[in-house]
Amino acid sequence: MLNPAARHNLAVAILHGVHIRIAGSAGYYCGGLGDGASIEIEGSAGWGLAESMLSGTVVVHGNAGSGAAAALRNGSVIVHGDAAARLGVSMKGGEVIVAGNCGYMAGFMAQKGTLIVCGDAGDAFADSMYATVCYVGGKIASLGTDAVLSALDPAEIERLEASLSAHLPPAVRRSKPAAADFKKVIAGRKLWNFDKREWRTWQEAL
Amino acid sequence: MCGIVGFLRKSGADHQPLGEVLLAMLQSLACRGPDSAGVALYGIPQPHRLVAQVKLGDNGNHSQRARDIETIALKFGAQDLSQKGSYLRFTFGENGDLRPLISAIESVSGNVEVVSVGRRLEILKQVGSPSRLEQSFGISGFRGEHGIGHTRLSTESAVDLSHSQPFWGHGYPDLAIVHNGHITNYHQLRRRYQERGVRFYTENDSEIVAIYLAEKLTQGLRLRAALESMVDELDGSFSCLVATETALGFVKDAFSFKPLLYTETASFVAVATEEIAMRGAFPGDYIVREAQAKEVQVWQRSTQPGAVLAKSTLRSES
Repeated sequence: MLNPAARHNLAVAILHGVHIRIAGSAGYYCGGLGDGASIEIEGSAGWGLAESMLSGTVVVHGNAGSGAAAALRNGSVIVHGDAAARLGVSMKGGEVIVAGNCGYMAGFMAQKGTLIVCGDAGDAFADSMYATVCYVGGKIASLGTDAVLSALDPAEIERLEASLSAHLPPAVRRSKPAAADFKKVIAGRKLWNFDKREWRTWQEAL
Repeated sequence: MCGIVGFLRKSGADHQPLGEVLLAMLQSLACRGPDSAGVALYGIPQPHRLVAQVKLGDNGNHSQRARDIETIALKFGAQDLSQKGSYLRFTFGENGDLRPLISAIESVSGNVEVVSVGRRLEILKQVGSPSRLEQSFGISGFRGEHGIGHTRLSTESAVDLSHSQPFWGHGYPDLAIVHNGHITNYHQLRRRYQERGVRFYTENDSEIVAIYLAEKLTQGLRLRAALESMVDELDGSFSCLVATETALGFVKDAFSFKPLLYTETASFVAVATEEIAMRGAFPGDYIVREAQAKEVQVWQRSTQPGAVLAKSTLRSES
């Protein structure tokens, strides 16, 4: 797709394993609701990148707007630049990697999957999360409600490094912190007020 | 919704097209707000003179009213008088206090409003989509170095010329703002300003931004500091673009509710609600990024008319 000039709703709900390369920037909701497509955006992406994507891969060479990977179900969303506010909010699975920084309230109410930010994270990071695991290579402006820091074990460091090496260009990966230096952020579970009898149902729903 | 745009050319050349750039950007955002549209254009100043744009009324023939206002304006040394649609434009000498002139003109009728005064600033706005700006005012021929624009989807106040944006910081020459969002402590702030005698021309919450910034700049704050204070003192959602005689800046609220993207290249700065406004107006390879929560950026231009800027004199103050 040549120079779509940041038009909205590009490559939405593609349900086949095709590869789509966008030479230029995409507007809102690019790659949303997809199931199996591989989408590469050479420029920037607007709000709602890969929102509710079921599976597949979306790679943005530039920056991403607010709400990237919101409600992501599965697959990978890779941003080589920065992501704006509300990255990965309510994500329910999959993997999100941002090589740069992310903005306000990333990971809010995220339920499952992995959220990796190589640069700095904005305020209220990982607020009110469920079982998503976050990794931040830079500074965290402030943790959100119930977000807590946790130690990385060796196997986890290995998995993190493998993921970063697999998804980021070598030059970009080399410019980012070593996997062992990332901070891990998870839910402190103080807000998990549901009845434990529902635990299995809840786990299955995720 | 609503769409806002801003542009600043780094060459320092006032004689380059400005109106057509802002028009192209605004037209790309027309779907975000078809109710009204407007621009604040910063043109070529005349030494020691200010230019005024006066709204004569909202509908109908305003020729008699224009003559009445011309009579008043001439007593204040007005020159270069011309009428285009609902606007009367004239220049007058820079003599300090603007209030006597503004009061005299606005006493003609409750519908009359001095829409802008400045050395460079001229605000033109009207009901309808951005394309009507060209039909009504031929803004594509306007030349200058920087400006801002707005296309409005009305959500809480009247759709007429006065409620359209940009808003002038009444009484503060060359200050104009455009706003996308809602100021949720508007009524509280409005009451406090009114208790101090500040006049409101509309019931549009965006007007409070212009009044707030005019007050802060009058108190001596720099533009960047004034924008930073907005984050603490104004509630709700706001992506605001602000222009003065010498600067273009923006501020985004603490929760990053509303979109605002910007790019800075070697030759220009552009800011817009959506990237589509930039890609349509500026072909080429440049990086666009979305402003983060609480982000403030200010770009300064030379105060010398027509001066060519060295790259280092135009800076982001971040």
